[in-house]
Amino acid sequence: MRCETPAERNGISMFTKFFYTCRAKGLRIALTEWLALQEALEKGLAGSSLTEFYYLARMILVKSETDFDKFDMAFEEVFKGVQSENEISKNMLRWLDKSELIDMVDEEDRFRMNEQDGIFTDLDKDEVEAKFKERLRDQDSEHNGGSFWIGSMGKTSFGNAGGNMGGIRVGGQTGYQSAFQVIGARKYRDFRDDRVLENRQFQLALRKLRQFSTKLDIPKTELDINGTVDKTCNNGGCLQIVMERPRKNAVKLLLLMDSGGTMIPYSSLLNDLFQSVNKSNHYKDVKVYYFHNCIYSKLYKTPECENGEWIDTEWMFRNLDSDYKVIIVGDAAMAPEELYSTTGNYRGPNGGLSGYEWLQLMKRHYRKIVWLNPKMAPGHAPWREAETAVKAMFPMYKLTVDGLNQAMMKLISNK
Amino acid sequence: MQQFESTQEYVASEQLMASVNVAIALKKPLLIKGEPGTGKTMLAQAVAKSLGKKLIIWNIKSTTKAQDGLYMYDTIQRLYDGQFGEEGVDDIARYIKLGKLGEAFDSDEQVILLIDEIDKADLEFPNDLLWELDQMEFYIHETKRTVKAKQRPIVIITSNAEKELPDAFLRRCIFHYIDFPDEALMEEIVRTHHPDVEENLLKNAMDVFYRIRSLKDIRKKPSTSELIDWINALQIGGIPANKIKAELPFVGVIVKKDEDLEGLQQRLN
Repeated sequence: MRCETPAERNGISMFTKFFYTCRAKGLRIALTEWLALQEALEKGLAGSSLTEFYYLARMILVKSETDFDKFDMAFEEVFKGVQSENEISKNMLRWLDKSELIDMVDEEDRFRMNEQDGIFTDLDKDEVEAKFKERLRDQDSEHNGGSFWIGSMGKTSFGNAGGNMGGIRVGGQTGYQSAFQVIGARKYRDFRDDRVLENRQFQLALRKLRQFSTKLDIPKTELDINGTVDKTCNNGGCLQIVMERPRKNAVKLLLLMDSGGTMIPYSSLLNDLFQSVNKSNHYKDVKVYYFHNCIYSKLYKTPECENGEWIDTEWMFRNLDSDYKVIIVGDAAMAPEELYSTTGNYRGPNGGLSGYEWLQLMKRHYRKIVWLNPKMAPGHAPWREAETAVKAMFPMYKLTVDGLNQAMMKLISNK
Repeated sequence: MQQFESTQEYVASEQLMASVNVAIALKKPLLIKGEPGTGKTMLAQAVAKSLGKKLIIWNIKSTTKAQDGLYMYDTIQRLYDGQFGEEGVDDIARYIKLGKLGEAFDSDEQVILLIDEIDKADLEFPNDLLWELDQMEFYIHETKRTVKAKQRPIVIITSNAEKELPDAFLRRCIFHYIDFPDEALMEEIVRTHHPDVEENLLKNAMDVFYRIRSLKDIRKKPSTSELIDWINALQIGGIPANKIKAELPFVGVIVKKDEDLEGLQQRLN
């Protein structure tokens, strides 16, 4: 039996490691994409340079420019130890060349397979793929205890990566923040974890938010039975079909939820609201994003507010037009510097503007915005500095069924 | 194997050319993303020209359904024809009209199929095309005919990132993101269109252009093609370079939305 040289073994595990590192960084690469990369390498599409390999791997494995950063991090982590491009490309070629995989199946193996199958001539692509899959499986159990394959990505390592990035940003505050994140990691609940909730009252309140329109820019796709009968009769019995536009709710809803630390006590209430919005399928469009204490230059896609799992607030301005009706849910209990200082966002980027300025941009962009606050002070409460400032900017309602009803009326009214 | 290369009208970056060629080699659709006005649609035309193949464009609108691309069964026409006793009403095939995808499959020559602005359609739209794009065939129920690609078309898909595309769909694509050109490249691009542009005018116009693009709440960022148009307008209007920043002449060419114009006026005052 032929022995693998250490370099070969090292090389193969490095390539495999790249796969796992990508996944650990939060890239959801599937086996089909990985095999597509193999196929591309087999066809020699990477040439012999690392740079070409970088772009080839990126165009096949990464499907959004927002993930390029994660890919870069993974790439750097796996390949940074290597000195020069020449050296690497030699190495790379050795492990990346598909013939290497074929070589892995040593002579003895071939002979055995030969005997078993009888008709075996050469390893074809499918068999190499099968071999490769097998290898991935083996490797998996060795390195990672199988946790990568089952279910979603390792949330922990993901969170760690986010934490690292945040840590670099905040510098001096790391101690406070990391402690906070540990708490956060346990307490934040993904509102999407479908807890079945019967919250009819919220749903009914949300139903108020509708504007039926047949003037939408959609084709006439529904048969107008009355019109057809009329026209056909007028036409002396010869069929004449009349189509009409379906009646559709024209309301588009944008829900922005605070998922900062002070909101934890209200998470079940927020969950109710989220579920109700999510179940209301009568809107033209619903978008939900999360923020941490105040809105800055990034909005998060999940309540955990992990770095990287976000969209640009500017993207939202460009793509969600001013017709969207906006519901912001938050306790508006930011520290004054979180609201007014350009360094107030200790968790992520702020694009050079303070939270207050971002809120002003929101107000300038969207025609209809209401703020729902689960712990709004009754009456005038000047000692709550941030809440008072936010209240002066947006109509604020307490997050109760009653408050929600009022807020919906506000959103739908013309005033 | 045929290789895509830059044409005279379209200068593609190395990476972009590589993506096109990888997509052709792996027989996968190429997904092109990038801001509006970065030349996504032009790419398909350039590819078609470079390879000497026919281009079929399927423009996607918010109301487009996957079925539209395959075929349409014109039942109403058939009903009408039936009433008036037209010839051939019993021949259903007469009322089946192939869509753009069907046309691409049915072509004897290999064609380039551009699915333009796929993100305009419903969220489910890309998923509804998975099978057809994978297998390059579909079935017409009414006539029991299978339309299978005679020559696998080269599929180029563009997206403005207005909506997220489904994972299952993305997994099958080769992805390329066209970066917005930086100032140096932009200067080059402008000069290929206006070789005799005056130095000062170009500099002032570009300053304003990038300044507007950097505004946080701008609803529609001006694009490359709009800058080229604007410089053209400034040249024709004979605007002196020093007036550009102060007066923003013809600014409507780069700022198209009323709200953006208002915001810009407010900032000026």
